Amino acid sequence: MGGRVSRQLARNVPALLLALLLLGPLLALLVRWLSGSDKLSLLAFIDAGTLLLVGKSLLLSCVVAVLASLMGTICGFLLYRLKFSFRGFYKILLLLPLLVPPYIFAVAWKDGFQWLFGNSTAINPEVGMIIVHTLVLFPLAMLITGTALSQIHSGLEEAGLMRVSFRRMLIKIILPLIRPALTISFLLILIISLSDFSVPAFFGVNTFTTEIFTQFSAFYNHQLAISQSFLLVLLCLTLLLSENKYLSDAPFFSVHVKGSSTKHYSFRKGLTMLHVLLWILLIAVLVLPVVMLSHQALSGREMLFSRAWELLSPTIFQSAKLAFLGASLISAIGLWVAYLKERSRFPHLNTMLLLTFIIPSTVLGVAMIKFYNHPATNFIYTTIFILLITYVGRFGFIAARIIGNGIKQIPGSLEEVARVIGIPPVKRFFSISIPLLLPSIFTAFVLSFVLCLGELGTTIMIYPPGTELMPVKIFTIGANAPLALTSSMTLISFGVTMFFILLFFLIGKILFNRFSYA
Amino acid sequence: MHKISLEHITHRYGDNKVLEDFSFSFEEAKTTCLIGPSGCGKTTILRLISGLEAPLEGIIKINETVATENERIFIPPHKRKIGFVFQDLALWPHFTVFRNIAFGLKDRKAEKVSHQVTQILDLFGIADKANKYPHQLSGGQKQMVAIARSLVHQPEIFLMDEPLANIDVKVKENILTHIKLLQQQFRFTMLYVTHDHQEAMQTGDKILVMNEGVIEAAGTKKEIENSSNHFVRSFMKL
Repeated sequence: MGGRVSRQLARNVPALLLALLLLGPLLALLVRWLSGSDKLSLLAFIDAGTLLLVGKSLLLSCVVAVLASLMGTICGFLLYRLKFSFRGFYKILLLLPLLVPPYIFAVAWKDGFQWLFGNSTAINPEVGMIIVHTLVLFPLAMLITGTALSQIHSGLEEAGLMRVSFRRMLIKIILPLIRPALTISFLLILIISLSDFSVPAFFGVNTFTTEIFTQFSAFYNHQLAISQSFLLVLLCLTLLLSENKYLSDAPFFSVHVKGSSTKHYSFRKGLTMLHVLLWILLIAVLVLPVVMLSHQALSGREMLFSRAWELLSPTIFQSAKLAFLGASLISAIGLWVAYLKERSRFPHLNTMLLLTFIIPSTVLGVAMIKFYNHPATNFIYTTIFILLITYVGRFGFIAARIIGNGIKQIPGSLEEVARVIGIPPVKRFFSISIPLLLPSIFTAFVLSFVLCLGELGTTIMIYPPGTELMPVKIFTIGANAPLALTSSMTLISFGVTMFFILLFFLIGKILFNRFSYA
Repeated sequence: MHKISLEHITHRYGDNKVLEDFSFSFEEAKTTCLIGPSGCGKTTILRLISGLEAPLEGIIKINETVATENERIFIPPHKRKIGFVFQDLALWPHFTVFRNIAFGLKDRKAEKVSHQVTQILDLFGIADKANKYPHQLSGGQKQMVAIARSLVHQPEIFLMDEPLANIDVKVKENILTHIKLLQQQFRFTMLYVTHDHQEAMQTGDKILVMNEGVIEAAGTKKEIENSSNHFVRSFMKL
């Protein structure tokens, strides 16, 4: 009896603390909104201008979601279900944009427009935003649909192919089976595009997220910013309501996505065309942005590049240190939350992390400031703790799902057999569970690291005094500096991100080889 | 030697009732085969006896001591002196064969642990596989490792959940011979779950035929052969 109570306390007390740290700010924001100064109506701020802005933001995000989902689904099928050489190579490179902070691509494409047309605003900034969001987010659709396609048992398709043509089988069998994946990839892209701050901010596009930032940070109209925040939160929640079960399990956030009995189609006709198409895509997604950035940054302006290095170099170590701390904390909490969901049937923290994951970055920023900016919580507000808590809220769900999917793949009997022979729980955890989960924990750590490294939307609102971080520095300098200086700084930031990705890739290769149990 | 009795056990998973007022006593130092169609509650009985789960209602006694009663576990799994071979064998993929067997042996002297492990590996004729990982073994070798891992702790109750499915007859006979020899030596009580009627008839001192959470027939091979129960005759192909 006593054991059960102490076990429940050991679980519930930290769970309540985490809920207080993350949900507290959002609940406090809700209370502020409900008890706002304008008591005539909670929705009094909704005027024609606001509705127009919501409509514009939704329209832009819808276009992005349609284009990115379409591209991602096609690539998902090509790369996960066709058999051809260099498939893995294309897959890794095309997934890279997901790991690189979106603002890097925004600066690169702005440079491209400048290079091509002599003026970065020659192309409509909204079009620029659509291009960048589509190219950055289509890999997410590719990953989601590709994973879903990998999980279809070959027998289902082969049974269909005995009776009907491939095209009919594709429409009648494959597409209905991956419908949840298609829906969720569309919705996720829509929400991420709707709530992203960095790309519209760099292009100077006025969207709902940038408007919240402007109202809060430039006009100090906090009540309006809070009201707008809730409208955005409501929008995101409504969008997710239809498929929240599928997203809550997020099978696509997984280390092992290769199905054991997936049917791979081999073909010869059109193989060259396929390689050409994939190369065009690779060039558009990765090569072109790097070339455009390099051209702008290095075209005879060595002085400018060294100035960029001078400005950015002090921030690199701080950013990496913060990303390391953030990723370590996120991975540890992700492991705990995943264990509670998968093994202790306690999914509430996972649901909470899903909620904070879909809250737009600027909204989370507003909530954090309003909640922690008090003398009693100054030890959080004025230190990196506020950033660490926010990063857990923003990316904890991804880590929890990657590790959770890893736990699902470990048969419960591996732990039970250790229980029967009397291995104590702590030894069981460190000797059996942790080694088997190491690839998942490592993947969660790396993803969290790069996401923390490039986070801008919330960081720019809450970074404590004395902290200098790469994306914030680029954004603030970029507002008043020549484009070439911003490009140079962005190129350095890209190089730093790629350095860490490569470093982790090499570490991961050793780790995965050591811990691959065929 | 351990006698196990289950008294009025009722258990369900969600809305699905798997055992309904189930009572039975398993004889000590004997092998009882549990046979029945999928989902009839065979594995659940092993899990309840091992203490990995507690029944909603009913009492489980081990050697006349109440081990579990109405959702409350009084004796935890590791204090029941049980060896459990799971259907999926549950070999730890990141441990070698040697470590799989040695893990959990409480004797602190490495030499003694090593001796115990080598002895059991020799007995099963797989001493040369000590440094291999599970994925480097054949199906039959994996099964032997799983059984050796459970027996090295010298259990008094040995639970086997269809561990010999999908291997060829010769290997199966070889493993069963080893187990029988060990049972004669250590006199443990064995519960053997299978869905193969021939295997049940060959292996069990007693056979328990189950269907939908209740006992259809129980007895020796001869008693089962003479059963007039329609389900038993049909399922056992008599």
